[in-house]
Amino acid sequence: MPPKKKTPAADPVASQEEDVSMAEAPPEEPTEDVIGDDANPAILGVDEQPIRVLAGSSEKAASYEFAKEDHTLGNALRYIIMKNPDVEFCGYSIPHPSEAVMNVRIQTYEGLALDALEKGLTDLMDLCDVIAEKFVAAREDYTSEMQS
Amino acid sequence: MDYDPMVMDTEASGPTVKITEAGANHVDFELQNVDLAFANSLRRVVLAEIPTMAIDLVQVEENTSVLADEFLSHRLGLIPLNSKNIDDVVYTRDCDCEDYCELCSVTLSLHAKCTSDDIMKVYARDLVVDAQRANQYVGNPVITDPEGLGTVICKLRKGQELRMRCIAKKGIAKEHAKWAPTSAVGFEYDPHNKLRHTELWFEQDPVKEWPMSKYAEWEEPPQEGEPFDFDAVPERFYFEVESAGNLEPDAIIQQGIKVLQQKLAAVIRDLTDGEGETNGINGGGYDAPRSPDLNMNGQWQDAGYTTPYGNGGQANTWSNAGAATPYGATPYGQNGANGW
Repeated sequence: MPPKKKTPAADPVASQEEDVSMAEAPPEEPTEDVIGDDANPAILGVDEQPIRVLAGSSEKAASYEFAKEDHTLGNALRYIIMKNPDVEFCGYSIPHPSEAVMNVRIQTYEGLALDALEKGLTDLMDLCDVIAEKFVAAREDYTSEMQS
Repeated sequence: MDYDPMVMDTEASGPTVKITEAGANHVDFELQNVDLAFANSLRRVVLAEIPTMAIDLVQVEENTSVLADEFLSHRLGLIPLNSKNIDDVVYTRDCDCEDYCELCSVTLSLHAKCTSDDIMKVYARDLVVDAQRANQYVGNPVITDPEGLGTVICKLRKGQELRMRCIAKKGIAKEHAKWAPTSAVGFEYDPHNKLRHTELWFEQDPVKEWPMSKYAEWEEPPQEGEPFDFDAVPERFYFEVESAGNLEPDAIIQQGIKVLQQKLAAVIRDLTDGEGETNGINGGGYDAPRSPDLNMNGQWQDAGYTTPYGNGGQANTWSNAGAATPYGATPYGQNGANGW
């Protein structure tokens, strides 16, 4: 067996020397600011990759991992991708509730899984546009109706 | 695939919105011909992801009240602040400034001292908003009561004093509930429970024991002995959005849809940006998590029976021919040759 490295913890003399009183202790290393807070479920960390392809993915069947996303995007996206007739299967999951990670699996009959994902996103975008437009129109109708 | 998606699609008529009631603090509307997933996304985004302003940092200069500093800071954080045109304010983490500045924050100061024998109440209206801010609305404490006082922050006895600087920042309710734009979001569909998405608990008769929703008369009640429709999906969603005062109810819905779109735009941007890069979506996912046997040419790195201490596992110290001990010849006879 190779000789054990001397660690400070195993050496009582060394650790006693390092022991200083509260007043003399050097100031604590400044902690990183909110920027790059990987633990914050609401903010994407600085070096955090927002989307990545999971291992074992092929052109027509791929799994994508979304960082800091949840059911808000997952379920709506899953539904809209499933509406695409080229798509054989689409499902999403949140592997663990303590991890702010959402996985989407897409399998297609024809075409790339990536194209299906992009189409799903743009379709959902268009749907949002329609709802926003309809809401504003309905709100204006309601006010004019109330006034008359 | 030889089917027309539009034929089987129930939403051929397109989504519709109908306002059922609206006021200064609430808007009730019906969303039709969208799917449950989208309606729920809208509910979730309105509840937790619309940016608003709230006090986030408190510098306590003087606090001789009976309430602890952190207790008061918490109370200050929960005061709703006007967040109209919040798009003018940037997130502090995206701002170029060192700590915080007028572009990413609003400063409110509070200075109150009780000099009379009566108990003095400190209200939200006593917060003085600094003029250095992104626009004229952002950061004003929300005051809706007829007296124009706002929420009570603290009570002071004679001689007690409060002096603090509060820094309000932009944030979302996912991070802390003080940034919530709504006090409640009602979300309802299928008032007759025709889809059996819920099971009503009852003692004798669920029809008698459960009061009808106010939306029940809007939809056809189930017929006596009607068979269960396996193809039915929810189509009409009833929203009741109640503002906390920091945003107008209409603005909440419009912001909600916008936030959802920003989410989508961010994902689309990341998808297109990643193309061609090693770590990108087409680069085979270099950083992607993988099982341990990948990238090892289909073989395990070692067969599993070697130790990290060398000597190959087979030629172990105890298996020398002749069974010599590590101590060489024993005093009890010839090495290797058993004396007995």
